[in-house]
Amino acid sequence: MSISKNFTRAGVVLAASALVLTACGGNGDNGGDAGTAEGESAAVAGGGTISVYNCEPQHLVPGNSTEVCGSKVLQQLFTGLVELDYDTYEVIPGVAESWDTEDSQTWTFTLGEDWAFQNGEEITAQTFVDTFNWVVNPENTQQSANFFDNVVGYDAVINEETDELEGLRAVDEYTLEIELAEPFAPFPQMLTYTAFYPMPSEAFEDIEAFEQAPIGNGRYQIDGSWEHDVQIAADRWEDFPGENPGLPERIEWRIYSDIDTAYMDVQAGNLDILDQTPPNRLTQIEADFGENSATFDTGSFTYLGLPLYQEDFQDEDVRHALSMAIDRQAVIDAIFDGAQTPATNIIPPMLPEAQDGICEWCEYNPEEAADLYEAAGGPSELTVWFNSGAGHDQWVEAVANQWRQNLGIEEVKFESLEFAQYLELHDNEEITGPFRLGWTLSYPSAQYAMEPIYTTGQSSNYTGFSNEEFDALIEEANAADPETSIELYQQAEEILLNEMPVLPMWFSNYTTVHSDRIDNGSLLMDQGTFLRLEQIVVTED
Amino acid sequence: MTRYIIRRLLQFIPVILISTLIVYALVFAIPGDPIRALAGDRPMSDAVREQLRQQYNLDDPFFIQYFKYIWGVFTAADFGTTFQGRPVLDIIQQRLPVTVTLALVATAIQAVFGVIAGILCTIYKDRFIDRLVQVSTVMMVALPIIAIGFLLQLVFGLNLGWFPIAGNREGLVSYLLPAFTLASVSTGIIARLLRGELVDAMQSDYVRTATAKGLKRTRVIGRHGLRNAMIPVVTFIGADLASMLGGSIVVESIFNLPGLGEQVYRSISGQEGTVVVGIVTLMVIFFVVINLLVDLLYGLLDPRIRYE
Repeated sequence: MSISKNFTRAGVVLAASALVLTACGGNGDNGGDAGTAEGESAAVAGGGTISVYNCEPQHLVPGNSTEVCGSKVLQQLFTGLVELDYDTYEVIPGVAESWDTEDSQTWTFTLGEDWAFQNGEEITAQTFVDTFNWVVNPENTQQSANFFDNVVGYDAVINEETDELEGLRAVDEYTLEIELAEPFAPFPQMLTYTAFYPMPSEAFEDIEAFEQAPIGNGRYQIDGSWEHDVQIAADRWEDFPGENPGLPERIEWRIYSDIDTAYMDVQAGNLDILDQTPPNRLTQIEADFGENSATFDTGSFTYLGLPLYQEDFQDEDVRHALSMAIDRQAVIDAIFDGAQTPATNIIPPMLPEAQDGICEWCEYNPEEAADLYEAAGGPSELTVWFNSGAGHDQWVEAVANQWRQNLGIEEVKFESLEFAQYLELHDNEEITGPFRLGWTLSYPSAQYAMEPIYTTGQSSNYTGFSNEEFDALIEEANAADPETSIELYQQAEEILLNEMPVLPMWFSNYTTVHSDRIDNGSLLMDQGTFLRLEQIVVTED
Repeated sequence: MTRYIIRRLLQFIPVILISTLIVYALVFAIPGDPIRALAGDRPMSDAVREQLRQQYNLDDPFFIQYFKYIWGVFTAADFGTTFQGRPVLDIIQQRLPVTVTLALVATAIQAVFGVIAGILCTIYKDRFIDRLVQVSTVMMVALPIIAIGFLLQLVFGLNLGWFPIAGNREGLVSYLLPAFTLASVSTGIIARLLRGELVDAMQSDYVRTATAKGLKRTRVIGRHGLRNAMIPVVTFIGADLASMLGGSIVVESIFNLPGLGEQVYRSISGQEGTVVVGIVTLMVIFFVVINLLVDLLYGLLDPRIRYE
């Protein structure tokens, strides 16, 4: 399947770049006719325009974008040092042609020499030095600044002693050297994240103006400026210096405040693509869209964390019992029409490091759970915490019902709070029972699936979990060569699944619906829940 | 009359000041750190957070914050920014036309349909048309607005394809469905309100006199009956227009119209005090100005009313 998809894609790229009027010439030497043989319609000349659902971004500055609405756009407008192959999750060249390290601590990147921004400014090693320094500088209040916290000299910049990261060096015009404080093998993976895109010098002069019409170095170039709450449009940048230019000629992100409205607009043919169908519509997709839909596994992880700083949850038997008393599939079927993948791991199944069948306590086993819970003296009353207004009410209640039934818990209370207040209670360790949180992989690495949430003292470690062996394994894995590191990350994951600071619930499935103009076979969603728009084939004008 | 208007205008000042203070206090009272919530599950660094809190004066006590805000408004016409850094004035400038268009179209719809229905009811009192209007208006008032919106989208947008489902990229046409949705409840109320008043008026002495003079029935209803019966209706339409100018959260969001209501909702959840205050103050101004206009209209409808 993925082979034929690649063939179609390659055929279209050839056609587009050669400015041939039809893509199905049939004489392509690498399978231009493989697509037509399958009965797929040919792409329209030039690639066509697609309109895509989006929410209003918070920001359109790479270092400041921490949410999907903005990142969706930025990913098309910018290219970082490296990119991802979305079939294998291998890191492939972006602006950097190659990179090298001996100790996973000092990294040398050799940049391609023909890169420039869409305004003509050349991209050199200094561009990255300037951008990264700017992002970290607290004066510029970039929300992703702490992605750089491993670069040597980070603290000095944060404390405003200097405004240049010591570990960042432009060795010559096209050689960039980055020195890290700790060895970090997944560094190339991390560099695929939005925060590491280069910015042209005019951005630093007037960032507000830049944000309204970002000038990037990516496959697409913004057309006009950001029309707040209405749309963002971008045309394919015909001078894109990298590999695999975008297929659609133009992308229009239409901004919606209500996702249901977007669903109806796709149905009426006013919008081409909605990447995430709301759960309440899942049962009717078949009737509404037939074959014009696709479901993808993602790395978006939902869990119920346990506040280990509360005495009730310090016994691991209690945590195991709580986990075994949940029939995840039943909750998924009842609430999400089956559209989630029950989690039996911490590392998302799509990553090369993923393991199968290692979670002893994720299987539904109400009898054993009840015995274990009673023997361990688990609390007879529970309060379940979640953030309000995000559609969590139903499934949290379903889980609570199962606990009530299976564990003989007398009373389950719910605390549903606004996100800001919710996080504050976490910071103050005032959460008294199981709590809902999620984690999405900003970059595809087992390290990122674990270190920020479970390592002692990390910023997203809301359970208060602390395990020396785990911390040591993560540290060792970060410093090891790629092959050894896989094994070490896997051992670390096993500790988590045994100790269970969090009850893994599921990895989200995203269901995309689209209009007749879109070739279903060309749709692909990555680990971060981003639909790869640059690869979409449009079959009708 | 001029003195009356000036006195009313002067009354606006304390109303606006007090309402901004109350709204600001309410947003301030929402627990939790809005800056913390910006970044989501993965927190931003303390340095950035501190910088942002400072930038938006969030570390100051309430009255200092409020004073800084008011000071900015009066000395530099600075109404603050969202946490995205967008000036509140820009947002109002962009969103106000959407809300105003929607409110005016809806007002036109409810005035025309409501008044026609009310007159028909009076003419055909206790007959089929009267009953039909009475029953259908009860239904319109009773149905939740969100249901009406979805129904109109489904039937006229999706199935028949006559109107766009959402957005405002097709100009005035795209405002029709949301305006009908927004107007539905008030149309029913206006029809019933007018019917009640008009039926009363038709039994009064001056109408009987007008009929006895041999005037045509249309003239009797139009010049004599309606003019008196319209006073409560105009009051209602005015108040309704004023509240619609504040934006409708439900209608704007299901029809994806970027108006003020949707922004207020978003800013309240994001605890963006300055945005909420900016827009709410605007709503208050609309409300008092339209109230004044309505009061002045009374004099045109009923010459007995004088302004002191």
